[in-house]
Amino acid sequence: MKARILVVDDDEALAEMIGIVLRNDGFEPVFCADGAQALDVFRSSRPDLVLLDLMLPGVDGIEVCRQIRAESDVPIVMLTAKSDTSDVVRGLESGADDYVPKPFKPAELVARVRARLRPGDQKAPETLRIGDISIDVAGHTVSRGSERISLTPLEFDLLVALARKPWQVFTRELLLEQVWGYRHAADTRLVNVHVQRLRSKIEKDPEAPEVVLTVRGVGYKAGV
Amino acid sequence: MIWQRRALIVTLRVARLVRMGFRRFLPALRYIGRALQRRWRRSLQFRTVLTTLLLAVTSFAVVGAYLSHQIAHNLFQERLAQAESETRYNVKQVQDTFDGAQVTDQSSVITLVYDTLNAVEGRGSVIQRRYVFEAMPEQTKPRNRWVESRASDQLTVSVIPPELRKAVQESGKDQYWASTVIPVGTEDRPGIAVGNKVTFNGTVYELYLIYDLNTAQQTLDEIQSVLWAGGAVLVLLIGAVAWYVTRNVVSPVSHAAMVSEKLAAGQLQERMVVRGEDEVARLGASFNHMAASLQEQITQLATLSQMQQRFVSDVSHELRTPLTTVRMAAEVLYDARDEFDPINKRSAELLYNQVERFQSLLSDLLEISRFDAGVAVLDAEPEDILQVVAHVIEGAAPVAAEYGSEIVLSAPAGAIIVEMDARRIDRILRNLILNAVEHGEGKPVTVTVAASQTAVGIAVRDQGIGMEPAEAARVFDRFWRADPARARTTGGSGLGLSIAMEDTKLHNGWLQAWGRKGSGANFRLTLPLRQGGDIDKSPVQLEPDDVMFPGEPRNIPREGDNRNMLVLETGAARLAPVPTSKETP
Repeated sequence: MKARILVVDDDEALAEMIGIVLRNDGFEPVFCADGAQALDVFRSSRPDLVLLDLMLPGVDGIEVCRQIRAESDVPIVMLTAKSDTSDVVRGLESGADDYVPKPFKPAELVARVRARLRPGDQKAPETLRIGDISIDVAGHTVSRGSERISLTPLEFDLLVALARKPWQVFTRELLLEQVWGYRHAADTRLVNVHVQRLRSKIEKDPEAPEVVLTVRGVGYKAGV
Repeated sequence: MIWQRRALIVTLRVARLVRMGFRRFLPALRYIGRALQRRWRRSLQFRTVLTTLLLAVTSFAVVGAYLSHQIAHNLFQERLAQAESETRYNVKQVQDTFDGAQVTDQSSVITLVYDTLNAVEGRGSVIQRRYVFEAMPEQTKPRNRWVESRASDQLTVSVIPPELRKAVQESGKDQYWASTVIPVGTEDRPGIAVGNKVTFNGTVYELYLIYDLNTAQQTLDEIQSVLWAGGAVLVLLIGAVAWYVTRNVVSPVSHAAMVSEKLAAGQLQERMVVRGEDEVARLGASFNHMAASLQEQITQLATLSQMQQRFVSDVSHELRTPLTTVRMAAEVLYDARDEFDPINKRSAELLYNQVERFQSLLSDLLEISRFDAGVAVLDAEPEDILQVVAHVIEGAAPVAAEYGSEIVLSAPAGAIIVEMDARRIDRILRNLILNAVEHGEGKPVTVTVAASQTAVGIAVRDQGIGMEPAEAARVFDRFWRADPARARTTGGSGLGLSIAMEDTKLHNGWLQAWGRKGSGANFRLTLPLRQGGDIDKSPVQLEPDDVMFPGEPRNIPREGDNRNMLVLETGAARLAPVPTSKETP
């Protein structure tokens, strides 16, 4: 089955070009040029992934991202013309999983899309624990005691990666490779922002984390 | 004198109290002392009031002491004169009584002597004077010496100063006096003893009459306490007046200081309150005028800078979107080039390559303009710089292999944690290392990392064509190329090193270059381990040890010079003096 990808971009030429590239690689693109209609198109087309331009007429990309995230865990990849820290971080904080800075290569875009769409490895029934959090890997659920915690697939992958090797300290680069699928240098802010978001969901006190610990100067590790 | 004695006692007591107090309250006293010192340095008003008070206290103490001394002296003289005349009278009375006495038996003589002496004490309940009656020593004992000595209650001959006794004993019939201390009840009181001789029945006796100075002392004490209390009030009043006057003068000044501090802190709308037409008002008015024109200019600059930032951001967005489309299209065409005829194929290749170049140029330009607009921010976190170095070398390895050169890393084991923006450091190092590979002519490129307590240094050294010292001074200039003729053969936008320099400045680090024709070049990056820390010396050398050309102009960075400027100096430091080359910036 072809994966359906919603491209939200007001630049028609770029949207069309992205469409050509995606179709070329066996995806089914759906387009939306207006931020205000993005949510409707999203609901009607039920895509497997959203490519979202940050600067949109009407409702801006960050708001669209927030709206989609409010009702779905679908992977969202932002297209940004600004690579300034504040914009990228704002985008990631509003719920995007990853971003591709303009101008990008077609191969780069496709790699990002594939990385987010990659069907999770065949998961054997497995239960992991970090601190008082238990993770059902096959069932894709996370809970503290009887309380279910809802995570996006990316946050789930991040948590599982840390929980599988609780003795290991993960550098940001290693996490980028294992969770995001980057083979080369990428923006470590992705890791920072998503760790913050993960903490805000699973920690009792995100200011004093117990589940995902920071190892100063190195990276992160699971709290035991 | 009485008051001297008392003053001495009081002084000693106070000194003891102060000594004991010091031991117990020393820390608190030190703290107060420091606070006062700070106050003294920082407050003109405090200083003025304190100085005035000190001067007032000093002058009052001098005047008070003089007055008090005069009064005490007069009181004492008056009482002394009275005591002397009373003594003269009483001694005469006693002598007269003794002379006319009938000496019969011992008991009547004793009674007579005692009655006579008791009469000297005066009538009534108040003892007016007391006496000490003592037979002169060393006289042959006459027949009727029935009385040895006699004194008023509580008194013995010991209250009479020996000097006085000596004077009385040695004189004929003269009267002498001396100050003394007499016990009255449980207390000691100041007194005057006046002595003379009397003869009774052939025996010579010393008779001392002792006058209590307590009343005079009380009067003196009262006068003194009034004097000191008045003085204290006066001093306080003077202090208050000084405080009020200085406040009137100082408060506009400190108000001006406060307002200018607020202005400096960016509260540009802050103004002074102007009242009246005096000097202070003029100061306020001109101050406000200055503030207003300052505010206007700053606002103008801020608006301009904001516009610039907006412009850069807009251009960035507007250019990047179409460029993305063009780039994707070029790549699609490029991927399909094998299906084209030769002309279209070559065109697709040219398009692809030039779009790449255009894009790197554009992104470098935008990066530079972001620095110029001052919107570049340091996103610093403590990270291991050795990992970044290793990562960059790993990334540069394929390029190095293409050039046939090798990248050698010389670094300490372990980790060097540096507070840095890893993205920017990665960019600087990639630029330096790729530059070294490109200009290294296939010879090895050495990367040296070393750290000190405060800084980390990374030197990237190539053995290639090298450059003139004058060129080394210019490599960080925008679009500068060593050899314009071969400018375009090696790629790059010509902005790489300028961006590296900006990234370094953002970290408060140094980026320096050294070069010599034919001996390669060395680029050194020095960063403080902690942001806000200073670098006094880079842990790695800029000028390699393996190159020495005596007498030629060399590039010696001045240690401690963190202005990221290249300083050209001659070999004079080690060799014969040679004129400094004229390229010295």
